[in-house]
Parts: sequence; C-alpha cells; structure tokens
Amino acid sequence: MRRTTTFAALLSVSVLALGACSSSDSDGGDKASDNTSASASASADVCKDADGDGPKIGLAYDVGGRGDQSFNDSAYAGVAKAVDELDATCLEGEAQDAEPESAREDRLRQMADAGANAVVGVGFAYSDAINAVAPDYPDVNFGVVDGFDPDDKPNDNVAYFSFAANEASFLVGVAAAEKTASKQVGFVGGVHNDLIKGFEAGFTAGVKAVDPSIKVDVAYIEESDLSGFNDPAGGKTAAAGEFDKGADVVYHASGASGSGIFDAAVEAGDGNWAIGVDSDQYLTATADQQPHILTSALKRVDVATFDFIKSVADGSPKTSYVTYDLKNDGVGYSTSGGFVDDIKADIDGYADKIKSGEIKVPTAP
Amino acid sequence: MSTTQVDKSAPSERARKIGGMYRTYWLVMLVAVVALSLVRIATGADDITAANTLRAAILSACPILLAGMGGLWSERAGIVNIGLEGQMLLGTWGAAYFTYNYGPWVGLLGAAAMGALGGLLHGLATITFGVDHIVSGVAINIIGLGATTFLAEAFFSDYQYGGPRQLTGLDGLPFVTVPGLSDGLKSLNDQGWFVISDLAGLLAALTTKVSVVTILIAVIVVLTAWILWHTSFGLRLRSCGENPAAAESLGVNVYRYKYVAVLVSGGLAGLGGAFLALVAASGFTTNQSNGRGYIGLAAMIFGNWNPFGTLGASLLFGYTDALRLRSPSAVHALLLVVAIGLLAYAAWRFYQGARTSAIVLGLIGAAFLVWFLTTDTVPREFTGMTPYVVTLLVLALASQRLRPPAADGQVYRKGSAG
Repeated sequence: MRRTTTFAALLSVSVLALGACSSSDSDGGDKASDNTSASASASADVCKDADGDGPKIGLAYDVGGRGDQSFNDSAYAGVAKAVDELDATCLEGEAQDAEPESAREDRLRQMADAGANAVVGVGFAYSDAINAVAPDYPDVNFGVVDGFDPDDKPNDNVAYFSFAANEASFLVGVAAAEKTASKQVGFVGGVHNDLIKGFEAGFTAGVKAVDPSIKVDVAYIEESDLSGFNDPAGGKTAAAGEFDKGADVVYHASGASGSGIFDAAVEAGDGNWAIGVDSDQYLTATADQQPHILTSALKRVDVATFDFIKSVADGSPKTSYVTYDLKNDGVGYSTSGGFVDDIKADIDGYADKIKSGEIKVPTAP
Repeated sequence: MSTTQVDKSAPSERARKIGGMYRTYWLVMLVAVVALSLVRIATGADDITAANTLRAAILSACPILLAGMGGLWSERAGIVNIGLEGQMLLGTWGAAYFTYNYGPWVGLLGAAAMGALGGLLHGLATITFGVDHIVSGVAINIIGLGATTFLAEAFFSDYQYGGPRQLTGLDGLPFVTVPGLSDGLKSLNDQGWFVISDLAGLLAALTTKVSVVTILIAVIVVLTAWILWHTSFGLRLRSCGENPAAAESLGVNVYRYKYVAVLVSGGLAGLGGAFLALVAASGFTTNQSNGRGYIGLAAMIFGNWNPFGTLGASLLFGYTDALRLRSPSAVHALLLVVAIGLLAYAAWRFYQGARTSAIVLGLIGAAFLVWFLTTDTVPREFTGMTPYVVTLLVLALASQRLRPPAADGQVYRKGSAG
C-alpha cells in the first residue's frame, strides 16, 4: 500500500509539473520562428520593442496563438502594420484550449487596465467575454473577429467584424468553372449550418455564372456536430466520393478537415484540384499537395484588424457590425502557385461586377 | 464405456453448433448481397455496391474495428473501457510524433505505445485503486484530449507543416493492389449484372489499394479470436471477466491478466488513432477521433463481445458512414434495404411462432417501405444519422441475445475469493 501511495504522489506531482510547463510555454514568443513556410511576419515579435506614441493595442489570440498560420497570424499581421504605420504599441495574450469564460474576460481586463485603447479579440469565442467587459471600460474600443452581440443591449464601444465569405467563394467558384475539364466540380462543407451554407451558395453562384451547365456536387461532413471541422478522414471520404464521380475541382469550407480534401486531390492524380479557404492554404500545404491547390478563398483578418485600429487612431472608432467584403478588400482570393494567373483577368472582372452591385451574390443556397 | 461416449459426443455437439453458426453467417451475408443487388437494380443507385464505395467503407470501418477489438480485450477480462476514445486520441498524437521523427512503421508502434499508456492509467485506476470503471474511463477521455492538445502545441508548432493544432504531410504506409485481378473485377463491377457485379465490387474493394495496416488489422482480428478462445492464456483471461473469484481460487493471477488485457486494449485503440492519422488521412489534428472510440465500443457490444461479430458491426458502421458521405442520395435506396431486411426478419419470426414481435417488426418494415415509396430523397438531417439509426435498429433486433461477460464492469479486489 505504501508503494502505491508513493506512486500516486509522484504521479500527481508530475501532473502538476506538466501543467506548469503548459502555462510557461504559452508565454514563449518565438514558436513559429523555425517554421520555414510560415508568413515572415510571424517570425519576429513587434510587440516586444514597439515604443511609438500611437494607439496602444491589446491583441487577444484565440487558441493556437501566433504561429497558427491562419487567423491569429493574420490578425498579428494587421497589428504589425499598425505598429509600422501608426506608431502603435501592443500587448498580446493567448487563449488555452477549454479555458473558462472568466479566463477570456481576465485577459481582456488586464489589457484594458494596462492602458490599451484598442482591444481586438480574435475569433467569435470572444463575443461573450467582450460583451461582459466592454461596459466597464467605456473609453476603450473593442473589436471581435467574426464576432456577434450575444444580447439585445447594444455596446457602443464594440465592433463586430464579419466577412462576406460568399463573395470570396463566388470568385473561387469562377476559378473552378474556368479550370474544370469534366464540367463537374464539388464542394465539401464541414458542418451544415448557415455560415457554411453561405460558402456553398457563393461557390455555386460563381460556377453557374461562368457556365450554368456545370454540375456542382455538394457534401457536408456533419449535419450539426461541430466535429465536422476536425475530421480529415471524413473530409477525405467525402471529397474522394466527388472526385470518383467525375468532379475535378473541389472547394472546401471545413477547417482542419481540409487536409483530407487536399489528400483526396493528390490521390485523384494530375489535373485534379482542391481550393483552400480562409487563409492562403498553398503556403501551409505539403509539397505533395501544393501542385493541386488551385487557389484559396481569403478572409482578410489583417485588413479588418488594421482598419479597426486606424479608425481608433483617427478618433472615429468603428462600432457595431462592420462587414468586410470585396469593396473594402476584406475578402479575396489567393494566387500563390500561379495556377490561376491565366484566368486572373476573368476573376477580377467578376470581382468588379460584384463591387459595382451588378452581381448580387446569394448568402444561402 | 459411457465416459468415452460422453467425450465423443461433446466435441461433435460443439462442432455442430459452430458449424450452424457459420452457416447462419454465410446465409445472412448472402441474403444481404442479394437484397443490395435487387435494390441497386430497382433504384438505379449504383453507388450502394460500387467498388469505390466499398473501399471507402473498409477505410471507415478500420479505426472503429480497432477500437472495438480494444474494447473486446478489456471487457473479456472484466474491465469496461469507456476510455477508448481518449486512448485513440493519444494514439493519433503518438502516430504523428513518431512518424515525423522516425518514419511510419515506428509511428504505428508509437501510437500503440501511447494508447497502451492510456490503458495503463485506466488499469492503475480500476484494477489497483478500484475506481469505478466508467468514472476512470471518462477521466481518460478528458485527459486524452487535454494531453494531445498540450503535446501537439508543445512539439508540433516548430515542425515543418506543423502548427499548434495540426501536423500534416506525414509519410504514409504502402498500399497493396493485386495486379490484373483489381482491374478485371472493377470492370465486372461496372457491368451492373445481378449479384455477380455486386460481388465483384466487394472483391475489387478487397484487392485495390488495400493499406498494409488494413491487412494488419485483419490479422489482429483473427489473432484475437485465436488467443482468447483457443489458448489457455485466453481461457484464463476470459475467466477473469466471468468469475474472477473462481479464477483466483484456481491460482490465476487476476490482476496480472486484467493489466495485460487493458494494456492490449489501449494499444489497439492507439493503433486505431494511427489509422486515422496515417491511413484514412495524412495528418494529425487535435480531437480527430470524432467519437469513433465510442462507436467502436458500441460495435463490440452489438457484436456480442465476439471478434467476428465486432467485425460485422464495424463494417456496417463503416458502410453506412461511407455511403452517407459519398452519396447522400443513395441513402434513400438504403430505406428499401432496411424495409426488406425487417420484413424478412418478421417472416422468420412468424415462422418461429413469435407472432407479436413478427407483427411489430412487420409494421416497422412496412412503414419504411411506405417511406421509400412516397419520397424521392431522405432529409439531410436523417442522412447524417444513418449509421446510428441503422445500428440502433439492428441492436434492437439483436439485443435479446446479447450476453456480456458475467463480471464485466465490477471492481475486483485481490483476495476476495476468501
């Protein structure tokens, strides 16, 4: 019995030690520095030695933090630009997986107490925390990427950035329609909810705008369970089904399941394409996958973040819902790899038509 | 004189019973193929027996089957292992870490080792400390998710193609295609002939791009059946799950057998995680097991704590899962299959004299038939539930005959044999 007690004690000590590692690790600032393919902006931390007299920015990352090669890095790029152009200074904080709501609130309060006048929460998960904190700091302006107001009481110092994902999807739909040889393309969504239906609607509209006879196969990994964004195996099965049935371009809006869609394109062989989403996924794809990534539908979190900071610096801070679309460069498509260079003029032509209002992109299929 | 007679009749009785069991298996499989073939011709839903669908079905079934085998090992020794999900998650991380650093074969071993670590923790809690099996299992699932998330962030952030929550571009394991046979069977599958094309589709799926891990899994199923039912080690292990006190009184070291079982259990679940990260897709993401550990556990129960039953249940899960992902429209044709199956079973029950259950089954079957005839598509919401509904249905039909190990889930303290 004594031996087992000793063992149990050792076990609990080691668990505690591991826990300590976890929190000290999250403060380490240069996680992405060895990563050759990460965007260059992530390799140095501008917040450490910024000392301008512009706005003071608080940047609260979502889980993953800087170095995630996605939203967090993109928001950081916006802040870096603000440091550069607006003489801003900044503070950073990062969320942990499955942390309590109060941890998010504390992070925001610490930033506001430290004198930040523009606080940005990366990711919709900050919506509730900012709604709780904002009324206590009327002089601080808050922004939430992909955020929403959880109650009826409007906050006049909070801006919610939303992105016209349907417009970006329309443009990659045009690219898919111009590149397909089999006159059949596919879409794989992570979860069948309103947000992802917007991607599907935009993509389908873009394809049909070029050639109404092109068939669009649609598959969703999960009906309502959010695990559909985390299931590469399911994504690969769904995409392989579409490639098998004759599609040669498949667009995904399925988060981390996307790597499975890229695998399916590689397995389908030359002349089969996948289209990425949210960030320029060509840059983070493996060498095998890169020749199959036609383009990516972009959500410019960096543009939104910089735009918000600039509005604070100019003394007319943005509040309430702010939509970032093609008109203000808040969404777009990527050209890495050079696979869409030959049809760029066509895609940009459609983009101009959307900007002028000539084409209205649907938000639901 | 009389004793020799008994000795002679006992094995032959058993052999007849086993022979009858295998005949039933084959009969059920034959009926299933004929029914699928009829439905395919009647509805034109070629996807339901296409070689590519069946291949995807096998890929979907593999991780579930490994989790199910894991559950089988531990429950046969009397330990309910609800922590399979968490052990599978540990396996996905182990597969990613060891594959990145040492190649995919070591990756498989690493995944099994990480899973076994989860199994060891479960064994420590349930066997040595006598914690309730469910409580410990749930804790392991939470620990599995937390540990993989933490470990991924700590190790994968600096790797090429890595990030705090994923690691893609892992080297895969080889695939095996039987040359000649594969193409011939595929073209036969495309002909659309009654039964022949459907069987060709099945054989094509078994000869085209089969992962070596899939072959390994088939070996594991056969080995499990052999070790647990045909060796004295297996007999002792199962006796710990049926009546540990009696086993101990006969000199079996119950704790040791339970530990072995739970370690193997975790290791197999970890391998299931490796299948997800290395074969089903070429990358790790946090929490990618997506409930497959629980489904594996259900497949094992539904397979009556028996390796081949678990195999059948996993294939059923894999098939419906692949079908709903690949061709949501073909799920409508599946309604007809379910209707035929229920009506056939009802007729069988009626023949056996079980009037009430025959009528209930017949009515449900008729309802499915009406549903099939009056609609053209299945609502999206239902398509997603297909694997679970089909399982629930089969479970409801089969549950009267399920028998778990007698001491399954009970905490056993050494020396309680007295």
